[in-house]
Amino acid sequence: MLIDESKCIGCGNCLDYCPMNAIALDGDVAKIDQAECVECSVCLRAQCCPTDAFYRPPLSYPRTLAWFFSDPASTHPSTEIPGRGTEEMKTNEITGRFPPGYAGIAIELGRPGIGTRFREVEKVARAMAEFGVEFEAQNPVTALMTDPKTGALPSEIHDLKVLSAIVEFAVELPLVPRILERLQELAPAIKTVFSVDLAVRCREDGSSPVEGMSLPFSLSLNGKTNVGLGRPRHN
Amino acid sequence: MTHTLHRQGTVKSLARNYTVLAIPARGFNSQGSGAKLQTIKEIFFKHNPVNFGDIKRGNMYNPGRDYVIADTEDGTVVHAVYRDEKTLVEVLRDLKEADTGISIVVSGLFDRVNESCRNAGLTRHTIEYSLGVHGARKLLPEKPILEISTMCGHGMVSFNLIRRLVREIENGRRTAEEAGQELARQCLCGVFNPQRAAEILSQLA
Repeated sequence: MLIDESKCIGCGNCLDYCPMNAIALDGDVAKIDQAECVECSVCLRAQCCPTDAFYRPPLSYPRTLAWFFSDPASTHPSTEIPGRGTEEMKTNEITGRFPPGYAGIAIELGRPGIGTRFREVEKVARAMAEFGVEFEAQNPVTALMTDPKTGALPSEIHDLKVLSAIVEFAVELPLVPRILERLQELAPAIKTVFSVDLAVRCREDGSSPVEGMSLPFSLSLNGKTNVGLGRPRHN
Repeated sequence: MTHTLHRQGTVKSLARNYTVLAIPARGFNSQGSGAKLQTIKEIFFKHNPVNFGDIKRGNMYNPGRDYVIADTEDGTVVHAVYRDEKTLVEVLRDLKEADTGISIVVSGLFDRVNESCRNAGLTRHTIEYSLGVHGARKLLPEKPILEISTMCGHGMVSFNLIRRLVREIENGRRTAEEAGQELARQCLCGVFNPQRAAEILSQLA
């Protein structure tokens, strides 16, 4: 994102709208730090500029990745799904992505509200690859991997900042505690925050197969519930 | 796309926050889903949500409810936010009766959502837990700021904007309700609860 300096009146109204704190006044105009801007489009959509000075120039790779991973209005070509993630558990009754006995794990780097460089995403992906996990094929981070067996990402994007990026895979339930222990061990080496989630298929009576399981992280009291109305139903 | 997960707050506050979303499954029922999603939007709207939206058209505060409800594309994701379980049960019953075949996901306290499902004649299929925030937690702001900002899982609501709105409430430039709506404008999908935000902002100001 850029600011047309000929239009900017230096009022500073836009500064607080930027989730990455990337806008600052430089003399009597506002400027965007391009190393911190993640192309999320919040400044554009907020209509916070009285002179409409924000504009997005045509983007080229790897800058396009920042947009795909940061602006939920963009649709990543590898997923064809709006936003930076996948359908994961939301359509599980149709896709059967997480069958009984399996868990979906997603590790979202940069969330909440801090952002991440792909270097941090790769650290987590490489650690998870040690377990031989198969990364979610429809996830845009997986699509970027140069080697999904190792979790390696292209070196030219290591310093690129995005609002968040998700490392995602499914594993058999008994492996979940070991994966989470590895994440706990890795946490001090990660230079941003990351949010972790765990998705599971309920039993026939709707109960959870992981309640009461000994895990290094606590299960939240709130979360997402797929109520099973999707059709055609996965057998 | 876990944009309604990882919400933070007290049980009392979270008990007044239920987000319902409808999403088609790519390669299964996405083609031709626009009309079904439009039906779902109308059900959502009928039950007076405090916010609703369409990821491809915005939310009821930006650009506004008429634009959001006017049209629905195939493959989009639609959302609505409610404040109580009674309304949630009514919405779920209507969605069950409409039988569109589009997947429905509810975000909220598990025990209350589970009970609401049962009251609507549904059995939950799959659940997703948050296992918390880890790593460089020292970068995070104070807890009430997080309770507000995490209502937009795509991270569109900046910490600094929340702090500024607290100052504006203190200075009498905005009411807490107006500030809650200004924050809701930033959350493209319409999953942000402006009334819950106003309650937290009032405590901060």
